[in-house]
Amino acid sequence: MRTVRSVLGLAGVAGVGYGLLRLLRLPGDQVVAVVVWAAGGVVGHDGVLAPAVVALGVAATLLARWARPALAVLLVVLGPLTLVAVPVLGRFGARPDNPTLLDRPYLAGWLAIVGGALLVALGVALRDRRRLRRAEPGAPS
Amino acid sequence: MSERALRGVAARLDARIPRPESFTSDLRGERTTAHVGVWLGVAFAVAFATGLYSHAAQLATPPLALPAAPSRLYQVTQGLHVAAGTAAVPLLLVKLWSVFPRLFVRPPGRPRALAVHLLERGSVALLVGSAVFQLVTGLANSAQWYPWSFGFVGAHYALAWVAAGSVVLHVAVKLPVVRRALGEPVERTAAGTGPSRRTLLGATWLSAAIAVVATSAAEVPGLRRVALLAVRSGEGPQGVPVNRSAVGAAVAGLLDDPAWRLRVVGPGGAVELSIADLEAMPQHGADLPIACVEGWSASGRWGGVRVRDVAALVGGGPGDDVVVRSLQTRGAYRESRLPANFVQHPDSLLALRLAGEPLHPDHGRPCRLIAPGRPGVLQTKWVREVQVVTT
Repeated sequence: MRTVRSVLGLAGVAGVGYGLLRLLRLPGDQVVAVVVWAAGGVVGHDGVLAPAVVALGVAATLLARWARPALAVLLVVLGPLTLVAVPVLGRFGARPDNPTLLDRPYLAGWLAIVGGALLVALGVALRDRRRLRRAEPGAPS
Repeated sequence: MSERALRGVAARLDARIPRPESFTSDLRGERTTAHVGVWLGVAFAVAFATGLYSHAAQLATPPLALPAAPSRLYQVTQGLHVAAGTAAVPLLLVKLWSVFPRLFVRPPGRPRALAVHLLERGSVALLVGSAVFQLVTGLANSAQWYPWSFGFVGAHYALAWVAAGSVVLHVAVKLPVVRRALGEPVERTAAGTGPSRRTLLGATWLSAAIAVVATSAAEVPGLRRVALLAVRSGEGPQGVPVNRSAVGAAVAGLLDDPAWRLRVVGPGGAVELSIADLEAMPQHGADLPIACVEGWSASGRWGGVRVRDVAALVGGGPGDDVVVRSLQTRGAYRESRLPANFVQHPDSLLALRLAGEPLHPDHGRPCRLIAPGRPGVLQTKWVREVQVVTT
């Protein structure tokens, strides 16, 4: 175990080192731009996205217990998927000379996925409500 | 402000910043992190390996001879590359969520412990920064969206090593925790107080699966219609989508020039071939995919002359590479080098036709390179010159 960890550790440091050397071989202004974007990724996640999700979690504690798992499923499925869809939903890369690029009805596609996820979440919510009622008859849900 | 007052301010601030214990959801923690982390590691490993292959395939002289068969190899590796990166988005977000409280661990006071703490923090920052960078730039690139000022290829390749290295380093540091957490059952407490860990993990796998299908299913026959978020529908002139159009490459005015000749240069001299000359040579057909680095691919029936027959006109032999140059006067992909094993492949063509018709302007009229198992950007369009390079 110790040997495995040492070998992995050294390989990891070597990989990071090589990557940073490759990065520094780019023109100076590009290096700065890459560092800004990578740091922006950390700040965007830790400073914006994660606190927003924590806030949603706190808000969910105000809701009925049976509804919470369904909402968690909805968030986990639709949150990342919506982020993945941003480049196609915005069609930022579309070009007038190339109609074969970004040529699907993305909003309709995204709404179809949202609809499907809502159905799954509804199923989970109904299941949990029934279970909770059976486990604690008469208890406020 | 006196030192005492400063300390008072610092203490009040510290009291307002949450601590790891402030996060009460027992869904976070080692078992969630380990289970999602293993799959995230798999996704990154697949993306890294296929990314290295794609990078090697695009070097003018690859370090190893890459195979020219099977012809769909690059289509598969690059499809996997984009699918793995897409699946990594939900996996990374859930994994980071599960360890978010650790961001609020206070640094220890003793210098030695503080140094270790800062090293670990630094390595995690590298990991998060490079991982987010790779996913964001990769997804945007697949939709041809470039909202940054750096060159995509160089930056994505450099940070791939940073991301892969910091993942491996992170595994080395956390291996004992991962082993312990994976050895425990997924659920420990009775469910009923909120989402169970099983529900959370199930939703994570579902999220990754939907993301992959919605963006990548267009590559699987019969599933094109469920690829709701694919960057291409798969349709286009002559049944094949276009990456760069003739207008985009600034060659649209040059394609129907009757004075066009294919210049062929090699150790045995130089010849110039008109369309009629090319059509008088033995013609071959091949079903080959255009497999783009952006992850999409589409197959077509190409017709034209074999690259090796054209190379032979100027003394090109079985060990020679061929450089193909386009009418384009700018752009990183206006020429490409076809390694000798690809030159010799019977399906490597200088194509004149697609789907039985003369090439559409956007597919490289009057003549383009099409060879098996290569990235689409190297299938040079609007060819003006073929040079045999003796290696």
